[in-house]
Amino acid sequence: MTYDVIVVGAGLAGLTAALRLSEQDRRVLVIAKGNGATHLAPPVIDVLGYAGDKRIESPQKALSGFVVSHPGHPYANVSADVIAESLDWLSRRVPELGYQGRLDENWLLPTAVGVPKPSALVPESMVAGDLRRGGRFVFIGLRGLKDFHASYLADNLARAQLPARVSTRFIELEPPHDRNADPGSVGFARRFDEPRFRDWIVQALAGQLEPNEKVGFPAVLGIEKAGEVWRDLERRLEHPAFEVPLLPPSAPGIRLYDALARALRQAGARILIGDRVAAGGSEGGRVAEINALTAARPVAYRANSFVLATGGFASGGLELDSRGSVRETVFGLPVAGMPDAGEPMFSPRYFDTHAVSRAGVAVDARLRPVDEKGKVVFENLHAAGAILSGAVPWREHSGNGISLATGYAVAAAILEHAAPRIRVDARD
Amino acid sequence: MSSLQTDVLVIGGGSTGSGVARDAAMRGFSTLLVERRDLADGTTGRFHGLLHSGGRYAVKDPPAAIECIKENLILRKVAPDCIEDTGGVFVVTPWDDPAFGDRFLAGCKNTGVPVHEVSVGDTLRREPRLHPGIKRAFTVPDAAIDPWKLVWSNVRSAQEHGARMLTYHRVLSLDVDGGKVMGAVLQDVRSGDEVRVRAEVVVNAAGAWAGQIASMAGCEVQILPGKGVMIAMNHRLVQTVLNRCKLPGDGDIIVPIRTTCVIGTTDVHVTDPDTSEITKHEVDFMLDEGEKLVPGFRQARALHAWAGVRPLFQETRAKDIETRDVTRSHALLDHKKRDGVGGFVTITGGKTTTYRFMAEVAVDAVCEQLGVQRPCSTAKERLPGSERGATYQLGARLGAREPLPQSEEIICECELVTRSHLDAAIARRETDSIDDIRRLLRIGMGPCQGGFCIYRATALLHADRHLDYATANHSLLDFLEERWKGLHPILYGDQLRQTRLDDWIFQGLFDVRHLPR
Ligand SMILES: Cc1cc2nc3c(=O)[nH]c(=O)nc-3n(C[C@H](O)[C@H](O)[C@H](O)COP(=O)(O)OP(=O)(O)OC[C@H]3O[C@@H](n4cnc5c(N)ncnc54)[C@H](O)[C@@H]3O)c2cc1C
Ligand SMILES: Cc1cc2nc3c(=O)[nH]c(=O)nc-3n(C[C@H](O)[C@H](O)[C@H](O)COP(=O)(O)OP(=O)(O)OC[C@H]3O[C@@H](n4cnc5c(N)ncnc54)[C@H](O)[C@@H]3O)c2cc1C
Repeated sequence: MTYDVIVVGAGLAGLTAALRLSEQDRRVLVIAKGNGATHLAPPVIDVLGYAGDKRIESPQKALSGFVVSHPGHPYANVSADVIAESLDWLSRRVPELGYQGRLDENWLLPTAVGVPKPSALVPESMVAGDLRRGGRFVFIGLRGLKDFHASYLADNLARAQLPARVSTRFIELEPPHDRNADPGSVGFARRFDEPRFRDWIVQALAGQLEPNEKVGFPAVLGIEKAGEVWRDLERRLEHPAFEVPLLPPSAPGIRLYDALARALRQAGARILIGDRVAAGGSEGGRVAEINALTAARPVAYRANSFVLATGGFASGGLELDSRGSVRETVFGLPVAGMPDAGEPMFSPRYFDTHAVSRAGVAVDARLRPVDEKGKVVFENLHAAGAILSGAVPWREHSGNGISLATGYAVAAAILEHAAPRIRVDARD
Repeated sequence: MSSLQTDVLVIGGGSTGSGVARDAAMRGFSTLLVERRDLADGTTGRFHGLLHSGGRYAVKDPPAAIECIKENLILRKVAPDCIEDTGGVFVVTPWDDPAFGDRFLAGCKNTGVPVHEVSVGDTLRREPRLHPGIKRAFTVPDAAIDPWKLVWSNVRSAQEHGARMLTYHRVLSLDVDGGKVMGAVLQDVRSGDEVRVRAEVVVNAAGAWAGQIASMAGCEVQILPGKGVMIAMNHRLVQTVLNRCKLPGDGDIIVPIRTTCVIGTTDVHVTDPDTSEITKHEVDFMLDEGEKLVPGFRQARALHAWAGVRPLFQETRAKDIETRDVTRSHALLDHKKRDGVGGFVTITGGKTTTYRFMAEVAVDAVCEQLGVQRPCSTAKERLPGSERGATYQLGARLGAREPLPQSEEIICECELVTRSHLDAAIARRETDSIDDIRRLLRIGMGPCQGGFCIYRATALLHADRHLDYATANHSLLDFLEERWKGLHPILYGDQLRQTRLDDWIFQGLFDVRHLPR
């Protein structure tokens, strides 16, 4: 079976590239071993939150200096305009999440431990958590939900360094005992999908909210009917309400995946989840096919172009063995950003930056993997997202930003340079 | 400075000191146990977890073997709840001298260690991951022993007999007057307050630190600290304690412990007993030795590594001075006879397996110093928690939870710790340290190494103990640093992947680096 483009990896980077290409009538296959970080992470798009210890107010302004001081960074290959475009594009493509924000200013949203965290683009269900203008915040704990502790959050947030005064408090609710006492956050999200559960919440909070308070809930406000759940609560509480992201799994992240997957299917792409992918044949410096390692036998898929969006160590796109050698798991590409042989990979202190933190695949301006000498490995292979070398995204707060922007840019690079799309009669 | 009075002051909250405290309290002495950190946070909490059958010493050190098997059988009776009866097997691998098997058999028979040669086929059926090239196999009554349970139940028993305990109290100095130790000055390491203790007899059970304590009374006790490294793997790759059948060496034992198995160990001379560094070379060596027992060991997932320091005693006194060197395996020093300093006894060396016996001889020496005769009963009386007489069964926590699967939240999924377990531990320990709670409940010791439970535990500590934000945040950050010590030496494969997820959780999702301090 032949495609225009095969995308390996179903995280934000792979889904973005695939949807952009499908929109342009390319025949696309997304194939992945499993779900990506969408199911673990909040759907906030952090483009750049910190440069060193400096909190960034405007990624737009900070980026040009940042790429100069971080030469191998993925953002060195995507202009600020492209990043800005990718944010707009995502907002339009998944209206279900009601994304708000722009590249020129960061929101400041509370994390579950009460630290203000900068994000460029956030779903509407989180917007009211913005701390920049200060105000009064009340956080709602739900007994039985072990991943959200409103009192700890409120206590820390009251001490945070913020541009304006913030006051915090919390309310603990004891929702009626569910038959399953350890449902986890996705279980709670399903309960919020039910109108009766929301009735109970609204009643329990009746008379308890103070004027002008913004109400912070754990990010479990529905999963299938999320928009409706959040709007319903805001309307009935008559207070702005917002979600605070929790430990994995991430109910709002799953909403993003669902929205992107829906859009992809509508655009005619095929999504295969559950197959590990290994390199197939190559011809004349081009990848010809990949192999899906299904239970029964490997299945070969052919395409004109390929996108590697397998994430880094966290997703199995990279692996380090016990002897210290690192491997890119699909094509065995050269891995950049590793310490020299014999040098330690990790510092003995956790919060140091570690030598392997920036490891990944290095690419050229068209996001094609290159070797140590900067030579393109395969003419028609591109890479996007957390597999790219040069970033420490969990410290920079740039994870989803890198994946969205490079996923978006990789599609443009393919559209611009790859062979014209395969003819319709070649479709199966 | 506040002051306290006691008959017996015991220094060191490891297996030895907690055993001494229990024994002394049971013999009717008023007893105070002091420990500079948490209970079992010295060598006892960083050992290999093996209740020796004596097989390991049967050829090289027969008196030690005799002592081990004797104590092994006693502990099975008095402390079964601390023991998982895994059994043990000694195997001759292709790297070992086949002739040693006969010496081993003879050694076990001479020392009374129950041993049976079993067929290679049966052994491989029992332990399918074992190297298929093994030539001979011998079973012995090795077992796994839980150091935290052991120390805690000894201390609980001591407390039931009236003993007191001060953890996080460091001995700063000993009061010596007229050739006798009169007591000690302690410092509460958390508040900085000092406490003066007056005691009839001071028992130095400070393990590898015993030399430091002895020097406070002007006695020279030379300890050669020997560091050993262990690595816990994610699965029970083996169900029985696996030993190489050869003279004791490095990396030649794998002990199944709960859902993990632990390979060890090494012996490197260090100067400072507080050393805990683990080198790449040591890890590599251990993994290579692991391959010889269990092929594919390097592909298995390592969870955590740690190092403990052996208290190896070297007598520097001339031979003719009576030191009451009871066996070669441990050292009991009556400083009245040895150094002319009364009211002072040192008990060090040995093994956790023989802790009870070490405690017995130490308290015998206390009785002698005080000129009284009171018999020891620790070989007969069961420890709290062991009343039913049943050994620990793998899956006990799951078993307890299964009938009520919906009853409450599980805070640590890896080790099946529920919210009420945690609330009770917080109340009982009166501590702000997650690491202290870990030693009680094992939270954070499974595959995710605390990725999910640390946040929950911190928040519950904050709520239950009404902690201020700074203390709570300190507990969280401290635990992250502490666990990193055991993680960074073995980060590869799936454990690196897990750690990257934890990086995302703590630094990305929560951003704990910017917590208010
Ligand atoms: C807990 C958590 C919290 C986070 N919080 C934030 C946040 O607040 N803000 C932010 O901006 N970012 C955050 N991130 C980071 C962000 O989610 C990721 O950086 C980003 O989404 C990575 O996307 P990706 O598409 O590059 O890779 P991934 O989402 O990791 O996807 C990789 C895909 O490749 C597949 N794959 C890998 N190897 C193979 C193979 N051999 N064969 C087939 N398929 C393969 C995987 O199955 C998966 O589908 C967080 C991440 C986590 C885990
Ligand atoms: C690598 C290794 C593996 C081992 N494996 C096994 C095994 O599998 N089976 C077995 O039976 N034995 C084993 N052992 C031996 C056994 O662990 C030790 O012999 C035993 O734990 C020693 O216990 P202890 O109570 O004497 O010392 P420790 O447990 O070290 O206790 C001494 C305590 O004194 C405290 N202290 C020190 N200075 C002061 C001060 N100034 N004030 C107050 N307190 C102080 C310390 O904090 C410490 O907690 C192993 C040892 C090592 C090193």
